[in-house]
Amino acid sequence: MVSQPIDHAALLPLYLAAATAAVALFAGRLAKACTMIGLSISAGAAIWIGVGADRRTFAVGEWHSYIASDATMGLAALFALLTVLVAALSARAGAEYCFLLAASAAGGITLAGSGDLITLIVALETLTVPLYVLVTRPGRDGAEAGVTFLIASIASSATALMGAALLYAASGTVHFAGLATELAGAHPGLVAAGVALLLGGLAFKLAAAPLHAWAPLVLERAPLPIATYLASASKLGGAVAITWVVYFGLAPQAGLPAGIVLAALSVASIAVGNVAALVQRRTVSLLAWSGIAHAGYVLAPLAALATAAGRGAPDAAASAALAYAVFFVLLEAGAFAALTAVRPDTETETATATATAEKGRTPEPLLSRGDLSAPDLKVNAGTLRSSTELSHPRATIESGGPQGSDLKASAGNITELAGLFRTAPLPATVFLIAVVGLSGLPPALAGTFAKIVILEFLASSAVWLAIIVAAGAIVGLAYYLPLARTVLLGRGTPTPKARFTIAVAVIGLVLLAIGLAPQTVLEFTRISQ
Amino acid sequence: MGLMLIAAVALPLVGAALSWWLRRNWIGVASAAGSFAALAVLPLGRGDGWWHAVDLAWAPSIHLDFSLSVDGVSWPLALLTALLGLLCCVHNAHKGASSTLTALLLAVQAASIAVFLSDNLILFFIAFEAVLLPMWAIVYRYGDEATRRHAAAKFALFTVTGSLLMATGLFVAVADTGTADLGEIIATGGVSADASLLVFTLLAAGFAVKAPLWPLHSWLPDAHTAAPTVGSVLLAGVLLKLGTYGLIRVAGGLAPHGAADAAPVLAILAAIGIIVASLVCLRLGELKRLIAYSSVGHMGFVVLAFATGTEAGVRAALFANLAHGLVTPLLFFLAGAVKDRAHTGRLVDLGGLRLAAPALAGLLGFAAFASLGLPGLAGFWGEAFTVYAAVERGGAWIALAAIAAFGAFLTAAYLLRMLRRVSHGPVAPAFEGLGAVSAIEFATWSPLVAAVLLLGLAPGPLLDLFATGVL
Repeated sequence: MVSQPIDHAALLPLYLAAATAAVALFAGRLAKACTMIGLSISAGAAIWIGVGADRRTFAVGEWHSYIASDATMGLAALFALLTVLVAALSARAGAEYCFLLAASAAGGITLAGSGDLITLIVALETLTVPLYVLVTRPGRDGAEAGVTFLIASIASSATALMGAALLYAASGTVHFAGLATELAGAHPGLVAAGVALLLGGLAFKLAAAPLHAWAPLVLERAPLPIATYLASASKLGGAVAITWVVYFGLAPQAGLPAGIVLAALSVASIAVGNVAALVQRRTVSLLAWSGIAHAGYVLAPLAALATAAGRGAPDAAASAALAYAVFFVLLEAGAFAALTAVRPDTETETATATATAEKGRTPEPLLSRGDLSAPDLKVNAGTLRSSTELSHPRATIESGGPQGSDLKASAGNITELAGLFRTAPLPATVFLIAVVGLSGLPPALAGTFAKIVILEFLASSAVWLAIIVAAGAIVGLAYYLPLARTVLLGRGTPTPKARFTIAVAVIGLVLLAIGLAPQTVLEFTRISQ
Repeated sequence: MGLMLIAAVALPLVGAALSWWLRRNWIGVASAAGSFAALAVLPLGRGDGWWHAVDLAWAPSIHLDFSLSVDGVSWPLALLTALLGLLCCVHNAHKGASSTLTALLLAVQAASIAVFLSDNLILFFIAFEAVLLPMWAIVYRYGDEATRRHAAAKFALFTVTGSLLMATGLFVAVADTGTADLGEIIATGGVSADASLLVFTLLAAGFAVKAPLWPLHSWLPDAHTAAPTVGSVLLAGVLLKLGTYGLIRVAGGLAPHGAADAAPVLAILAAIGIIVASLVCLRLGELKRLIAYSSVGHMGFVVLAFATGTEAGVRAALFANLAHGLVTPLLFFLAGAVKDRAHTGRLVDLGGLRLAAPALAGLLGFAAFASLGLPGLAGFWGEAFTVYAAVERGGAWIALAAIAAFGAFLTAAYLLRMLRRVSHGPVAPAFEGLGAVSAIEFATWSPLVAAVLLLGLAPGPLLDLFATGVL
């Protein structure tokens, strides 16, 4: 057997992340600190390698399985840093928790550098598998979320693998660089089926329609730091996976089928996400559904490959998709980080809530019952805060149900954020920047630039898609604006003291920085072969 | 002079932040005055074409430069914006209103000035979008209790729809020409012939929402009526101008062929708008709503003049645009003063202002006459030249000119009806014991009165200034 030298320097960020995971598992009470420091070092290493010359390793002839370029290492650093943020937002991060988080980050880093379908899918699984455990909170609801995530994830992985297998059958290779040339004479039906299955499966990570249904349920019921991770790092994983596959593998020879599949996914996501987000009354659900719409925007530039003009500029399409994905996940991270900071300590509350909610009731009817009217909700929101200390008989009588159900129903309603700007200015400011940014309006310039990036590309390749994206953004304003308004102008009861001040301030500063200097993001997401 | 351009945009922003932070209205007044002064000195050392320019790289990969420049078309509008911003801040400080409102006004002012001065299409889009949220907040937070929520939401959705359509058009133009430099695209004759109609349609649809052009105007009466006085002043004096300025400078400049192709459609919509707005105004029973609706008619004149495509037409459009920006804010200030005193704006509850407060009634009469286009006041020239330009085109345009002239007649009818209801007749109970007009109020209104007289008596210099502009 022929052995080949391995470029260990290119793999350094991955080694560091994996080592961090291993150390965290045995670090006991220092696990959180170890994770944060270790992953920060890993991010630093990724940036250092990215700044230097491009490196490639694990070669099969001309084709490489691991590529450390500016874009891949920038994304690897982003994966690591988002994980650091999530670790910082976790109140009780035990050793296993940190281990799983770091393992997932290692998956993300590998994903960023992957150069063939097998590495990509394995990396994506490494990113996802630890989350099966992390999303599951104790109690029935948590288990439901965990199982939903598990089933959706496995189904989509199987779909993606099937697609990869078909593409392998058609081309005889799994390397992106190989697919780029070998798909030329392949059976078109086989290629189309493979492309559709592969992209459909990968779209699960991004929570793009039609594999989106898990996202609102899981994000709603997972612990908020993990929801932050799912909404940011995990979605970045999906965006990177699709971009790499499409740009390096499919664009040259299978651009048309890929473009058509992605256009369908993109338009469906924009429609489903925006319409569903309009009727959400709970903050996390709203962000989750609108995140589905944003997944559609991420895919839109790649969907332009369905047009001849789009196929003429695949590098611009991929750069636009990546740049939007990076802006978007940073904004999502900001929104969820701010929510985590102002939500009362979840662990103790969950215990009470689930203990009482267990009494023979399923959550869905309770959800709808809790949403009857706004005054009701306010009472419920008040109950929630006092519930850990003492029960509140009057409120319980008024809302006419066992206290546990009220807790379930009211925790996390948008009305709970009323007047947050007065009671907790810092998280509220970060939340506002993130929400206004997601709606794409100044003064949150990060979101405006994100929108400009994709609209500018689409205007040159597929004007109809640009108009669909614009229509989606208009609908988006109809739900983001009331959310921002509630935070800014509503009158609510004081919330408990905000936590995680430093983490929230840091992500807030990052959002401001990329708003003022978008070139930092646009530089490293600009890819060319 | 480049510094002055930056100061004109940056001072209101800094003032907004400081007046909000320190809760002091006078900081807002000072920064608005600074912005006005910075703009006022710009004609020094000017030549033809662009007077002054600054160009700083911001994000080259999306063609975004922080590039501001000023010429004979944009300068009067920027100065008008700064003037109205200053007057609104003074009004606010005088009323002792919240400093947050002052900050929001300054934010609108800064963004609008940036729109007028922007020489980069991407920057233009960002500034255009930046107007939305502060204005929304002004209507939502400080508006009329009964209608503000609905009006603010409608305003936001209409505006964002317009600006995203416009954005798509801008990006198509950028993709077509490969540059986002507005002056450069205008100098090279706009986008290619194939893309021209698409670009113009997208841009015109976007700007028509903002202008507003019938049938996309329905947000305007609601927003104007619900907004506080200063909000209405800025909406009428500044926001509508963003639409018409964009239509004339950006849509017309980027896609001259498309503009020529689409001109009949624009002209017919504008003519319908003039008639519809006048007829609606004849039946309206609320003072602010009436003035708001009259804007639809006046903007119809601007669009009709632009649609003729002749040099006289474009100049008439720019002139009518500016005149409306002086007259309608004055009307809103006066209507606000009347409503503040009478606590009602319903015409049936008003009457006898002439006897109760002669000075206020006199000013209201003056503003109404300026608005209906009395010769010798600012409103006259724009509308007269519009009819002239349309007649000059001949053919079916003469019919449009006749419709516009009939619209001007209807405008006179409804404004005189408004004056009869408000000023004449016996003193209404609402006007019993009316407070006199204070010195500060006079000071706030007098620059507008003076400018209306000046433009009415001597329109020549301004028309010559427009002729030097880059179009």
